[in-house]
Amino acid sequence: MEPLFINLAAAFTGWIVSLGLDPAWADAILLLVKWIIVITIITLNIIILIWLERKVSAFFQERLGPNRLGPFGIFQTIADAIKLLTKEDIVPSVADKLIFKTAPMLFIVIAVMLYTVIPMGEGMEVVNLNIGLLFFISIGSLATIALLMAGWGSNNKWSLMGAVRSVAQMVSYEIPLAFSLLGVVMITGSLNLQDIVAAQDKLWFIILQPIAFITYFIAATAELNRGPFDMPEAEQELTGGAYTEYTGMRWALFFLAEYTNLVAVSALMATVFLGGWQGPWLPSWLWIIIKTYGIILVFFWVKWTFPRIRMDHLMSFSWKVLVPVSLGNILLTGAGIYFCQWMGWC
Amino acid sequence: MNGQGLIKGLGITFKHFFQKEITEQYPDVMPRLAPRFRGCLRFQFEKCIACGICVNNCPNDVLSFETDKNEKGKKKKLLNYTIDFQYCMFCNLCVEGCPTSCLHFDHEFELSRFSREDIKMIYQRPEGLDEAEEGSAEQEDKEQKQIAAMLKALEKSPQKVLSKLLKAEEDINILAELIQSDQKTAAKMAELMVKDKEKAVKVASGFVNKEKKNRAREESDQEGGNTDA
Repeated sequence: MEPLFINLAAAFTGWIVSLGLDPAWADAILLLVKWIIVITIITLNIIILIWLERKVSAFFQERLGPNRLGPFGIFQTIADAIKLLTKEDIVPSVADKLIFKTAPMLFIVIAVMLYTVIPMGEGMEVVNLNIGLLFFISIGSLATIALLMAGWGSNNKWSLMGAVRSVAQMVSYEIPLAFSLLGVVMITGSLNLQDIVAAQDKLWFIILQPIAFITYFIAATAELNRGPFDMPEAEQELTGGAYTEYTGMRWALFFLAEYTNLVAVSALMATVFLGGWQGPWLPSWLWIIIKTYGIILVFFWVKWTFPRIRMDHLMSFSWKVLVPVSLGNILLTGAGIYFCQWMGWC
Repeated sequence: MNGQGLIKGLGITFKHFFQKEITEQYPDVMPRLAPRFRGCLRFQFEKCIACGICVNNCPNDVLSFETDKNEKGKKKKLLNYTIDFQYCMFCNLCVEGCPTSCLHFDHEFELSRFSREDIKMIYQRPEGLDEAEEGSAEQEDKEQKQIAAMLKALEKSPQKVLSKLLKAEEDINILAELIQSDQKTAAKMAELMVKDKEKAVKVASGFVNKEKKNRAREESDQEGGNTDA
């Protein structure tokens, strides 16, 4: 089972070349096919994820959750998707139409781009970038622009407020997010995610970098706009924040992108801290799925446990707690590495 | 330490995750109602005596009824009884007040209707109730007359009437004296003799025994008083 997808890809390239095309062209077509597969998997995965979140949140509150459509209500999300697709597409008359319409597209494109570098198995990734981690962080922070566009383009005070909040929050949390990953980069000496996974064949980095794991988890929650840091949405205060004016499929694109981000960030956490695709017995691509879903469940757990934090507390927590802690972690890691080298262990 | 509450909170949700769901699957599974749950107000026409306590008790004017005097003009006759349920606030005052307990709340709670008129529950006088009630009324009248006659006979010649109940001459005399001295005892005896003869015999002998004992005690008291003196 292990090299299933790699063999499939090799067979596909071989077939293209046998048709008489240049190998460079074959690689390009393979890339396209990989992208289509990634997008399909993401979309199908979202259906399961939304159902899972509704079910899990129901169990946390001793409810039943969706249970009408299909076994355990599994088809509920499909019904919801059909409903959203057939809904009227409303663009406010005073909205900045171009920005209003581009924002959800940009948001989902950014979310999908995150999957470029995530290693989905041994030798399985869309593109093997040597600056994979940097790429992931920089692309992830672009989502702020999409949210700001949505808020500004809607020409609505709630939307703008949500957008402003999301910019403030995401820019602030970008710093501890990047800093907490630096410790791992210092240990491996590489930004390539496959190298980082390979460096964890004996010991997962969650054991070497527990503080970084926790700070990254908190910063990622804020970066994903998930509870308890879902200030940009804040239904009770901002009537949906930047998404207030969106309807039907445009709104669904935001929703889709949020879950896509969630999966991407969880996959990155699994890759950087939990040994990525490494694991015994099962094939590597199954291991990354198991680990990613484990982290997603923790995200759900956190969201459905804690109430929303206040905006000023959120900001001060980032600047006064997370940034110093992650900086201290870098210092500690540097000292540790220096000590190791001095002792001749590594 | 800071952050302990977060761990505690996570622990609580984790515990709740595995607990049984408390969602009521209502249309599929009917809810379990408490025995004194107040659902729909029900009325039993046969028991009602048209006293109007329920109507007076009701704070929201839910209840109303119409009556008619029966032919002999002696007793109210209930024609219909209306429960305009849309105004009911389930205070239970009508049920508590009813002397014949002809009102009660049952466990029916699906009370939504398509129009206001449908919410109204009107109980019409059931057919056949007239005859049944009149029959009993006539019999009552007859009995009353018989009792009155018996009372007169008792006052006139108690020995003769009482000889039907008791055998011993002495007992008859005692009871006759008792009846002549006490109007209440006479009325009770007359009523019992008309309605239930066997019971009348028992009660009569009871009266006699009691009187005998009283007399015996009085005598012994007098004797005791004598010796003391």
